[in-house]
Amino acid sequence: MKCLSLRFVRLCGELAVLFGLYAAGCLMVRWSGWPLPGGVIGLAFLLLAFASGRVSPQALKLGAGLLLSEMLLFFIPALMSLLDYGELVREDGWRILLVIGTSTLLVMLSTALAVELLCRWRTR
Amino acid sequence: MPLEDSLMNMQWQAWFWLALTLGAYVFSRWLYRRSGRYLLSPLLLVPALLLAVALPLHTSYAEYSSLTHWLMALLGPATVAFAVPIWQQRAMLARYWPALLVGMLVGSAVAIVSSWGLANALALDASVRLSLLPRSISTPFALPMAADLGGVPGLTAVFVMVTGVFGAACGGLLLKWLPLRSSLARGALFGAGAHAAGASRAHEVGREEGSVAGLVMVLMGLLNLAAAPLLVRLL
Repeated sequence: MKCLSLRFVRLCGELAVLFGLYAAGCLMVRWSGWPLPGGVIGLAFLLLAFASGRVSPQALKLGAGLLLSEMLLFFIPALMSLLDYGELVREDGWRILLVIGTSTLLVMLSTALAVELLCRWRTR
Repeated sequence: MPLEDSLMNMQWQAWFWLALTLGAYVFSRWLYRRSGRYLLSPLLLVPALLLAVALPLHTSYAEYSSLTHWLMALLGPATVAFAVPIWQQRAMLARYWPALLVGMLVGSAVAIVSSWGLANALALDASVRLSLLPRSISTPFALPMAADLGGVPGLTAVFVMVTGVFGAACGGLLLKWLPLRSSLARGALFGAGAHAAGASRAHEVGREEGSVAGLVMVLMGLLNLAAAPLLVRLL
């Protein structure tokens, strides 16, 4: 029981650190006017911290693992903005699906073939 | 006191949507892990359930999101969390960055040019067209990029999700008939085409594929976002 609550405290602490880095990133974006999202700056801060050797990735494993494995949940509310686009879906839905489907297949094909060719060429 | 009544009602509604979203997510994750069928993935099942409840009730997005927008706020710290897998894969990155970089440049260019061209050919509205461009990168990058380009972030969120679901489902089929020998190419296929949904599908293919896909997804996001100010000038 004690072990479990310790783990929970630890998880909250790690999440707080990740939140703090995100907030720092957002502040930095507002202050500097760079055209990047706050999360990306926070990610860069954390990579710098790892590179300096003072922080180990193990120290954030619980919190980062939770956020990454449950990320689908954070997307779902955005998807519900469909509620306000009923008309668009009825009128243009099939054309939009056609664009997305075709373009996604092309992206997957071209990326995979480019990487595969370069890998074969390098190992030859 | 009609005003107070309706306020109470609104609060109740907001909590209802939050509880329903969380409940449906937990249920569908459990179901997916047990059955392993892609059709039961939370990515498909939860929105379907929510829409099935929200549409008959004539719920607007504003009503739905009054509390659930806090869930979206977690995307920021989740982006920061990607530093952990990137750091752990740094050896692979150091070794193969040229191949991955070329793959990502090709993929991004194909994504943007083909979306733009097809949307133009099918005569879609300018706002829809612009919202389609950041489609193949993951949401924390795609939403700010859509705003930069002058698209509608809400629409982009929907397009990103459709892309993820479609790409993760078709990626498996593509793997079957493409002669890909390297795990790098298999991972890049998922990461570039179907972002987070693809990365989770790639984890099922193999460990290396999964981490390559995760890495490619983050780097594609960064690359596209960095290119957005340039794109604005071109369009």
